[in-house]
Amino acid sequence: MLFTLISGILIGIFYGLMGLGLNFIFGVMKIVNLAHGDFVMLGAFGVYLAYSVWNLNPLIALGIELVIFLAIGIPLYYGFVPRLLKSRDPEMLSLILFFGLSQVIESLASFAFGTNPDTVNPTVFGSQPVNIFGQSIQMSWIVAVLISLLAMAFMYGYLYHTKIGIATRAIMGHRTEAMSSGINVHRVSAIAFAIGIALAITAGSMTPFVLGGIYPSMGVDLTTTSFAVIVIGSLGNPLGTILGGLIYGICLMLMQTYLPSWSSLVPYLLLILILLFRPSGLLGRRERNA
Amino acid sequence: MRKRMLANVLIILLLFLLFAVGPSIYQNQSLIFQMMVFMALAQGVNILYGFTGYLPFGYVGFFGIGAYGAAIAVNLLHVPALVAVILGGFSALLAGLVLSPLLRLSGAYFSIGSLAASEILYNVVSNDSLQPITGGPYGVNLAGIFDEQTSYVVMLLLLVLATAFVTYLRSSRFGMSLIAIREDPVSAEMAGIHVVRTRVFVWLATAVLAGLVGATYAWHISVFYPNTVFDLSVSIFAIVFTLFGGGTTVLGPVVGTILLYGLYNAIGISSPQYFQLIYGVLIMALVLFLPNGLMSLLTRRGIYVP
Amino acid sequence: MSNWKRILVTAASATTALAVLAGCGTNSATSTSQSTTSTTGASSGNVITVGTLYASTGAFATSSMPEYQGLQFWAHEVNAKGGVLVKATGKKEKIQLVSYNDQSSASTAINLYNQLITQNHVNVLVSDFGSVLTSVAVPIAQENKMVLFDQTGTGASFFTPNNPYIVLTSLPTSQIWPNSLANYIIQSGIKKVGILYCENDFDQSQEATLVQKLQAAGITPVYNTGVPTSTSNYSVLVHNLAATNPQMVVELGYPNNDIAFLQAVQSTGVKFNKTFMIFPGQLPTMFEKDFSKQQLSGLYTYPTPPYINYTNVNYGLPLPQFEQKFEQFSGKNHINFLNVAGYTTGLVIQKALETSPSLSQSALRQAVSSFSGQMNTLDGTFQINSEGAQTGETLPVGQFTLNSSGNLAMNILK
Repeated sequence: MLFTLISGILIGIFYGLMGLGLNFIFGVMKIVNLAHGDFVMLGAFGVYLAYSVWNLNPLIALGIELVIFLAIGIPLYYGFVPRLLKSRDPEMLSLILFFGLSQVIESLASFAFGTNPDTVNPTVFGSQPVNIFGQSIQMSWIVAVLISLLAMAFMYGYLYHTKIGIATRAIMGHRTEAMSSGINVHRVSAIAFAIGIALAITAGSMTPFVLGGIYPSMGVDLTTTSFAVIVIGSLGNPLGTILGGLIYGICLMLMQTYLPSWSSLVPYLLLILILLFRPSGLLGRRERNA
Repeated sequence: MRKRMLANVLIILLLFLLFAVGPSIYQNQSLIFQMMVFMALAQGVNILYGFTGYLPFGYVGFFGIGAYGAAIAVNLLHVPALVAVILGGFSALLAGLVLSPLLRLSGAYFSIGSLAASEILYNVVSNDSLQPITGGPYGVNLAGIFDEQTSYVVMLLLLVLATAFVTYLRSSRFGMSLIAIREDPVSAEMAGIHVVRTRVFVWLATAVLAGLVGATYAWHISVFYPNTVFDLSVSIFAIVFTLFGGGTTVLGPVVGTILLYGLYNAIGISSPQYFQLIYGVLIMALVLFLPNGLMSLLTRRGIYVP
Repeated sequence: MSNWKRILVTAASATTALAVLAGCGTNSATSTSQSTTSTTGASSGNVITVGTLYASTGAFATSSMPEYQGLQFWAHEVNAKGGVLVKATGKKEKIQLVSYNDQSSASTAINLYNQLITQNHVNVLVSDFGSVLTSVAVPIAQENKMVLFDQTGTGASFFTPNNPYIVLTSLPTSQIWPNSLANYIIQSGIKKVGILYCENDFDQSQEATLVQKLQAAGITPVYNTGVPTSTSNYSVLVHNLAATNPQMVVELGYPNNDIAFLQAVQSTGVKFNKTFMIFPGQLPTMFEKDFSKQQLSGLYTYPTPPYINYTNVNYGLPLPQFEQKFEQFSGKNHINFLNVAGYTTGLVIQKALETSPSLSQSALRQAVSSFSGQMNTLDGTFQINSEGAQTGETLPVGQFTLNSSGNLAMNILK
């Protein structure tokens, strides 16, 4: 029981990280990045590639990946989003657009990595398990949780203590008002988009250690899981995501212990229940009319 | 007005003819059958999205429930196939009633919520503990009622019915009030339209349509596993076909399905390894360059599209 | 007037669009069949066409591609010798494979199976890998009165007394797989067994047989739990399983599940006395890529060729030659069971063509029955029951060991 709870909390923090990027992009641009899970997958394969070919430590690989994907994120924003926002129904069309992108990423990844599942040696961060309240937890989970907490702390600092972060929050509150008060909406949004992608990559770099085997078609499942996490928290509120992740992680682990054959229902059931009975999410205040 | 009506009738007639003689020209009947399945589902999405603005990512849930409703009717109640199809539609109606609170959500929330709902239906149907009823993970075998020809005819009728319903919405007061609700629910309510009742009616109608289509599909293929009929790509296809052609029109989903599903199979048969790539790029190009669908090319020039 | 004209134009353009498209669809679909091992162009008289599907992407690609390669290898081998001596024509006929990619989608597979039958008019119909992609072919084959050469679709519901149009070629039906495992557990005096299985046709039917056999011997599993096939994180499950102190753990899943399970065992540091899994014995190179030899050593599994070498082969290549020639053919330096499975399917087809007095489907089916039980290939003894289900080619239990040179070897236990 104790082990279940502890691993639920740890894995929950990780799921929080996984939802964070998706939620951030939605919060700022009101578009749904259905390719989110595929970016997570790319992050995972980056680590796999670095480790298996160059024998690089995953943390170094993560650093390199972040630079690459921050650089990819910005042109990606300018290529897609401004055009999308001009259309009649950007929110709905973003679902389709990013679904297309996710197909492209998945197929390219299948060409590059094949379709077999790959794993990264989980003892790369040390094989000695860590003792938490008398339960031994594998080192790789601890690293994944630390990375998640770091990323969350970064997000907090960015949003509340930098100028551009405050501008970002202004856009999240009201896009047109922000625009009229002289904020360069596209520049701020582009950076937010790149950060959202980078967060997905960060979560991805830890998936081989938390979720096991990685394969190109895993993106879809990861996207739906991320959705469940952010809806439980509250859509558009980055901090709520952490709470969503925790609730999701603990529920999942409890189900795996007591009702394993129904465990895959957890994300969807939580999602529907929260949507219907507390439409603003657990931490949300605003109306849930996106 | 009468001329527009004529164009509508002409489209339905042509559609009927096309799929009635199709199999005798091109013998791969199941390809044509599945094209009808997707066209009917695309019309369902069209009714819901085009006329009410709800984009149902989990539309496949009704399709799957219809298939399983029919399968259970055949295997446990031993009813004839046609009755089973109707019961399939009925089970989708029940599912639609249970899920109608989803309509309280809007925009992306509704899409995600309906997706979650369809995953729940899938997980329940395929769960081990329901094995005596649904067959659980073992799947379903309806070989006893297998009938390619009759199921084809039933599917054709369903398609004509769905298209006719869209035609009705396109030209009736009821359809107008739907569009009014989509554009501004508050003013519509003030203008005396029963917003909730109207929305629920359309929601249930599309659920029944998907259920009937699913049941007929189950009858046509007769041996399947849960993930065959709850395959998320069914929803995605129906949505993409609708958007490609253009929502809120009769012709949009029809042309969208013929073009894209035809292309899908052509690529799938000729150069399958690049299939996913081509399809993904195509979808992205569609959203970026033709966000309102093919039909917008005509309507933009002021040409009336049925 | 102008309004009227517009409507006419719209209707006319719509009509032409519909007609052109319908024509287009027909043309593009029929003209470009992707034949891979074609030797002679014409499909009339002097070649036998074998139609099949494969999945290059999606959930089943891992298994479908090597199996398809095995079948390609068979066609290549046969054609290199001038073809099959077909009894019905009295001549040597070359084999032409006609194949399409279903991308692991069952609904796409429906169209493509139909395509093979109605457009390509293949002589022999072979299904794709596994139960899900085979399932949809069963009624299509029956309706079109084509014998379905089912390679590895082991689902029990496919085999019914009133369907004479199916033959399972390369694996026994999944219910009889665990016979050897149950015997091993009973005979080794193991009393505490923990079972973790995935909820799908393939794994669950094995679990049912295993539990039934064990209970008949008075053994009730201390842990027996089904999880969704999509499960990717086994840490908590492994922990709960370990808490019941089983003497032997049986994990029944697909390759992805086996890998995720093994990784969870490894990373949580839990030690099980004995662990059984299905796929390490079938896809060893895949597991060796992800785990060290030391980690795999000691695992129990179903050994398949190349780990099991049947010496009584009376039809087709024996294992050593197969390994050598297949590696030459594929350019890979290892073979796996699915290569063998695809090749075995080819052998069954070949033997049916050689024995059947006519090319009619019912004659082919009868021919297969006539040599059932007498054909020993590198996959074991081919034996089917009256419903076409495979009852031969049974799988023993084996254990990975490290040999003196530090390589993985298989110790076959029964």
